[in-house]
Amino acid sequence: MASTGFAVIADGLVKRYGDRRVVDGVDLAVPAGAIYGVLGPNGAGKTTTLRMMLGIIEPDAGARILLDTAHPRDAGDRVGYLPEERGLYPSMTAREAVAFMAALRGLDWQTGRARAADLLEAAGLGHAIDAKIRKLSKGMAQLVQLLGAVVHRPELLVLDEPFSGLDPVNQERLEALILAERDRGATILFSTHVMQHAQRLCDRLAIIAGGRRRFEGTVDEARALLPQQVHYVPVRADDTLPDMLPAGARRHGEEWRFVLPTDGVEGLLKRLIDAGYGIAGLSIERPGLHDAFVRIVGRDAVAPGPDTTA
Amino acid sequence: MTRARRYLRQTLTIARRDFTATVFTPIFLLFLFAPLIMASFGAIGGLGAANASQGSADKARLVLLLAPAEQRMVGTADTRLRALFTGDRQPPAIDARAAAGDPHQQARAAFDDARVDVAAVLYGTLDQPTILYAAGNRDDARYLAVVARQAVLTVRAGTAPLPEPRIERIVNGAPSLGGRTASSFFAVFGIFFLTLFLSGQVVGTMAEERNNKVIEVLAAAVPLESVFLGKLLGMYGVALLFVAFWATVLSQIGMLLPADIAGGLRQLHPAIGMGGFALLFGAYFTTAYLLLGSVFLGVGAQASTMREVQMLSLPITIIQVAMFALASAAVSHPDSAIATAAALFPLSSPFAMAGRAAASGGWWPHLAALAWQLMWVAIFITTGARLFRRGVLQSGSAKPAWRRLLIRG
Repeated sequence: MASTGFAVIADGLVKRYGDRRVVDGVDLAVPAGAIYGVLGPNGAGKTTTLRMMLGIIEPDAGARILLDTAHPRDAGDRVGYLPEERGLYPSMTAREAVAFMAALRGLDWQTGRARAADLLEAAGLGHAIDAKIRKLSKGMAQLVQLLGAVVHRPELLVLDEPFSGLDPVNQERLEALILAERDRGATILFSTHVMQHAQRLCDRLAIIAGGRRRFEGTVDEARALLPQQVHYVPVRADDTLPDMLPAGARRHGEEWRFVLPTDGVEGLLKRLIDAGYGIAGLSIERPGLHDAFVRIVGRDAVAPGPDTTA
Repeated sequence: MTRARRYLRQTLTIARRDFTATVFTPIFLLFLFAPLIMASFGAIGGLGAANASQGSADKARLVLLLAPAEQRMVGTADTRLRALFTGDRQPPAIDARAAAGDPHQQARAAFDDARVDVAAVLYGTLDQPTILYAAGNRDDARYLAVVARQAVLTVRAGTAPLPEPRIERIVNGAPSLGGRTASSFFAVFGIFFLTLFLSGQVVGTMAEERNNKVIEVLAAAVPLESVFLGKLLGMYGVALLFVAFWATVLSQIGMLLPADIAGGLRQLHPAIGMGGFALLFGAYFTTAYLLLGSVFLGVGAQASTMREVQMLSLPITIIQVAMFALASAAVSHPDSAIATAAALFPLSSPFAMAGRAAASGGWWPHLAALAWQLMWVAIFITTGARLFRRGVLQSGSAKPAWRRLLIRG
């Protein structure tokens, strides 16, 4: 366990590809034992940041400390990694693939093979233990690779876009596995651009866009950047209704949405009832992480995502 | 666990993976028996050529247009001299014909005989013989001249018994100049042949990791230098298996060889001694493989597709042949500047030094050369890994180093 209280510290990491600064002074501090998300739109520099922190590529400037060492390779046996581009040897069996990754991380083959069998059984892949990777579905192969990342029981698990390409059932399995790893005491650092997972899993998160860190904090702190939203459905509506609602109110079918007034919603509701519009439906909702993310990185930087309000 | 031990363990893990992934496939059997296939085709081709040659030789004739008594004398001399020749080197058979009319005209006409190929014709008398020969058969004409002279000498010697010398084979105790030179060329050619066959296999090995995208996992867990060295050692293991298999097969075939041929092999007398020579041959094969393999691995790792890998096979072969030529020149002129250059240039050094082991004694130059060569293996691996990290192992559309060098913009 990291003695500083942080499993990963990145200080002003910079990476240039040609004239382009892909990562431009990113700072991160990942508390030991936490689930930490690195969020950002495509091309934000998430993968490059993770690669620099793992020592796969060297930063052009800045420093990083991984499990108390400035040389990430020295902590290699204590780190598990699932890259964005999944890759396994197709001619290996599932058990061999997991055992091979265990051997790379310091376990002997016998122990690796035994743990591989246990993990595959526990993950519901017992039937595929001796199946060649080329025979497995994409989701199964991805699960095998994830098991290869945790087989040596790492202190730090780094997952780059772990949910991409998985069906909902396997996404749920993966979430359970991440939580189990956290419960075991591991620190989990993962990147994603899908907000639901981050919102459900992360203790803390950083939002990166354009190679820079735009936000760092908890999910609640991110959501608190935006005011609460009122979702109001009138009993009846006419052309004068918008005039009674706060400025910026938007209509979504029968529903009207607007920012919660600073003096509360009670006075407004009384006026609406008195005017005969009534209340067919009403809810006051905190903005989702998706909304906060869009606000932070800018609407143009983000592809439309699902509604993540909670 | 120390850093060095961890890197060694990771290197061997990758080597083991590559070795098993290569050996435990049906394709490996094809690779293992490739020399047999090559030898079979060679034998079939050789047999065909030998048959054609034999058929032609069977029809060749040396024609005698002499008086019957002189024909018998020449026949006796031919029987004795013919024993000097073995196998394909036998002169054409003697065809004794009765002389009639103008001997010169008859001799000229003999070459027009469609039934046989007349190589040469002897006519006139043994005191004043004349020999005509067809183009390309000068040696046969000379043979006829010697036979005619021998026939006359035998007659002049009368009935006095000719001496019958005792013939006994001996084996040289000390290395002869010829034996050392033969050993040098054997060493250079042997290592060239083996590396030509085997080291080119390394060039495409990184393509597998790139295509399967396993490289990211490896690069996160293992220093790229260990990945490169592991892959090189894995393929070296495959090469050793190949060499061990064929060495065993050939040693068994060697035991069945006729005594003369086996004795000929024993004439290989390396200056450093047979045991030391065998040891150095193995060591220089290892360094030659690792040197060429590390260069090919580094270059091949820059290739994005199998097509690019295949395109590299020609320059690879050219490099190997160039190193062979340089080392051969060094063996031919052991004290020349080219010999020194060949011994110092990393890629030709193992070949040249193997030749030197056969030609001159002393261990220190070899120990220094092996250390020099291994240092260059380390340099090539480190350079290859760095180029790979800088040029390939980055996201986006970064181009490999060689593309950035060749293609601007």
